[in-house]
Amino acid sequence: MTEADTARRVHVIQGEYKVSRDPNVVLSTILGSCVAACIRDPVAGVGGMNHFLLPGSAETMRSGGDATRYGVHLMELLINGLLKEGARRDRLEAKIFGGAKTIATFSNVGEQNAAFAMQFLKDEGIPVVGSSTGGEFGRKLEFWPISGRARQYPLTGAETKKTVEMERARPAPPPKPVESSIEFF
Amino acid sequence: MSIAEKIKVLIVDDQVTSRLLLGDALTQLGFKQITAAGDGEQGYKIMQQQPHHLVISDFNMPKMDGLGLLQAVRTNPATKKAAFIILTAQGDRALVQKAAQLGANNVLAKPFTIEKMKAAIEAVFGALK
Repeated sequence: MTEADTARRVHVIQGEYKVSRDPNVVLSTILGSCVAACIRDPVAGVGGMNHFLLPGSAETMRSGGDATRYGVHLMELLINGLLKEGARRDRLEAKIFGGAKTIATFSNVGEQNAAFAMQFLKDEGIPVVGSSTGGEFGRKLEFWPISGRARQYPLTGAETKKTVEMERARPAPPPKPVESSIEFF
Repeated sequence: MSIAEKIKVLIVDDQVTSRLLLGDALTQLGFKQITAAGDGEQGYKIMQQQPHHLVISDFNMPKMDGLGLLQAVRTNPATKKAAFIILTAQGDRALVQKAAQLGANNVLAKPFTIEKMKAAIEAVFGALK
């Protein structure tokens, strides 16, 4: 049986995260300017991936604006998800992918997103054991959450353009309003 | 002196980045006396040594989580009057209810804006300025 037969593919879309302890699971996603952080605990045998695109400029990200808060939130959800499955913070290791620069938009938002992820991991003391960011072409990414193996395929120019357009049409969703406004008195 | 300047705040969160962001937000709101802890145990130790007026604590943390800290703070006569705001990345009703039962003053969902943070604190202390 080939790998493709046994693997259970789980797709991670923009704004989402997935955590798994199943060695047969392959997490996959498609990245234009978006960034995916792949984090795992090799000892506990659990790993996961998120996929985000932060709006705004490098300045607003550095100054701790809402974009940063949103990015930190998505990283925290992934890390909390891993800890819940038995991971320990001091054993986590990360790989970062995505953040392509696209000529079509003359924008370096991808680069800023990758820089945000790198800075976050540095501040949290989570080592980055591998990364592939920037460049002119988008990526199709596969990550095996238990082994930590990652594989990427470059998208063509046309695919990259289409992916970036889709990403831009799907801005960061606002935080869930349900519980945020609850006040007891 | 503004009200915010008089309030001693303790931030409890296991993520360095979250502590930095929280500290920034509180500084922008005029708070000057801010202490930070990395988990509930550390937070409770600080509260025992020097009670703070306001605890802003994450829920999901190793060792002692936010509800554990809340319970410890409410049980100790020296710290039980502190205002307590719980932050949560995974807001669900069960958690909010549990927090209310244990005596939390407010719950704030992450990611929050500075305005939301201000509103959550003002709901407890009244207008800050």
